[in-house]
Amino acid sequence: MPNNSGKVYGLTILSPILNDDEASPSHDLQIRSYLAGLSTGRESPFAQAPGTHLARLVVMDDVIFVGAPAVEEHLNSKYLIFESNCDPGPDGTIDSYLQGLAEYAGAHLDAIWSHCVGYPGASDRAAFVRYMKACQLETTFFFAAVNDKSVPETLRALQTQKAVADFVETHQGMQPGQLRAEFLQLVATLDAAPMPAVASATVSREMKIGGRNE
Amino acid sequence: MSKLNETDIQGFVLRGYNLPYGRYILLRFENPDRARALVSKLLPIITTGQRWDNGKPQSTVNIGFTHRGLAALALPDATLLSFPVEFQQGMKKRADILGDTGLNAPARWDDVWHGNDVHAWLGINGLTATALDDCCSQLRSLFAETRGAVELAAQDAVSNMVDGQQTGKEHFGYTDGFGNPDYLGIERNSQPGHGKQLPDGSWAPLATGELLLGYADEAGELPAAPIPHILASNGTFMVYRKLHQNLATFRSFLDEQSAVYGGGREKLAAKLIGRWRDGTPLELAPDAPDPSIVKDPQRSTNFTYGADGAGTRCPIGAHMRRAHPRDAFGFNGKLIDRRRITRRGQTYGRFVPEGELASDAEERGVVFMVLNANISRQFEFVQQQWIEYGNDAKQGNDKDPLMGNHGGHGKFVVQGDRSATNPPLVCAHLPSFVELRGGDYFFIPSMTALGMIAMKLVDPR
Repeated sequence: MPNNSGKVYGLTILSPILNDDEASPSHDLQIRSYLAGLSTGRESPFAQAPGTHLARLVVMDDVIFVGAPAVEEHLNSKYLIFESNCDPGPDGTIDSYLQGLAEYAGAHLDAIWSHCVGYPGASDRAAFVRYMKACQLETTFFFAAVNDKSVPETLRALQTQKAVADFVETHQGMQPGQLRAEFLQLVATLDAAPMPAVASATVSREMKIGGRNE
Repeated sequence: MSKLNETDIQGFVLRGYNLPYGRYILLRFENPDRARALVSKLLPIITTGQRWDNGKPQSTVNIGFTHRGLAALALPDATLLSFPVEFQQGMKKRADILGDTGLNAPARWDDVWHGNDVHAWLGINGLTATALDDCCSQLRSLFAETRGAVELAAQDAVSNMVDGQQTGKEHFGYTDGFGNPDYLGIERNSQPGHGKQLPDGSWAPLATGELLLGYADEAGELPAAPIPHILASNGTFMVYRKLHQNLATFRSFLDEQSAVYGGGREKLAAKLIGRWRDGTPLELAPDAPDPSIVKDPQRSTNFTYGADGAGTRCPIGAHMRRAHPRDAFGFNGKLIDRRRITRRGQTYGRFVPEGELASDAEERGVVFMVLNANISRQFEFVQQQWIEYGNDAKQGNDKDPLMGNHGGHGKFVVQGDRSATNPPLVCAHLPSFVELRGGDYFFIPSMTALGMIAMKLVDPR
């Protein structure tokens, strides 16, 4: 199925934004304003909801006319685009992910999507899931740089990688008996360790990235 | 494509002169008319790419301008604004993008870079110290005669000598200067491994537009260039970086780590860069240096990493494998063909052979110069993604072990196998072996463009 790439689901949702001449500022500007204040770090509501690898929200005004020989065309509506690389449920569908979003980020979703046509609110879970799926487009092709692992698997793997790397660094040249004992201790510690917090494995880089360089 | 006009291209762009003595003079222009008069006087002495049928000249002269320098020459605003953003900004403003922070931050650079005064770079090379001095005297009399420029600083460089012989060795003892790319239309003693790899495994020159403005690049596009076209064509951009080398730190690192590394000191030195110190590629000779390979142009750069995915021969994070990954990222190397750079470099400071006392404080390093058509896509990408980051090489946040801006926090993994002489090793808390002491981005115009600048004929309309 084109929405799935291995274990990862590529969710694309296009919700038409309310077109109300009386609204001031207009509904699309109200969405932009709310999104501008939303955290993009580990406090992001989409990070708090389970199963999100990456989420992106875009307000699409219109198609851009690039000049002749292109034909000038316009959309019938402005749209809110929501894209997410996420973990689907065991049945391969997106329902459980959407329910999790409603549960953990309902207030934010309502603040954003209340400017969209026909949005029922997050509190009615069944209606919310029906609405989101009605707005869903087939993703058809996407790339998720997550090594085909779920979010919990990725968090665990990063935790293990860091612990093992640190272990190697500090235990090189140790006598085999002691090394074995300490390694078994490391494994036990890791087994008992709680699931790392979302985005906790992020290493901050001093370098300015983005733009044309990346 | 037809043969390039070598008489229109500055010689420094087309070939490394391999002359033992160098001096890099940094100039400030004070008055556009007088500066143009100086450029006029310099024109007949600039060394072009014309071949040397009668042997090497006594000395060579080449010239480049910063964006501020071109403004000081009063080029039209419409031309000045048409240069790529990174060149307009200059290297100091790109520090955050390049990772030139901490020990490499502009505040720690040599005094000459602290203001925004550097307008031009003159690169002079000589066959002998006397020839170099004679040439510089001639240039300095032109500065005085035209009152066209003030000399801000002069950086001397000299190839390291071993037993009285000029060598290609830099201060850490590595033989340098193997892998510059070939470009279509540029006559050069080509050898396998210098260009790009084709699907059948053979090597071909890169598109001319990866080095020179005005020609198609590897994407079939013309590189972003200033207007008018004739100002840009046959020109290129140069990145100038003065790289200080902490020789004492490097040697004590080798001593400490080789005490716990079964491969020994020389192999560890080789693992950092990907070649034994004599230049033998680890991929071709993982166990010991082999001088016959170094001497053989059919072999010295003729290798790939595809059969060494685990990095047990050449570590995945080794300097050479990062800076020129060849086929290491798959797709027959296609991912790297637009990230190649031509390097010119010369050592400065006293060469201290192994076994003699060395200090970090002494002035010593490499004047590292990069030539590329697109600074952002080529040099800056390599610096940001492959030198100061490790993700493309699947080395996480690890930086280039030798060149990285570590500041005591670096890590380098030497992949190994079960043999006693090639064990794995994790080097942690790496110090900075190399520190940046300054530099900038320069436009290296063609001879035609230099003439236009000198005669005030640059017209963007």
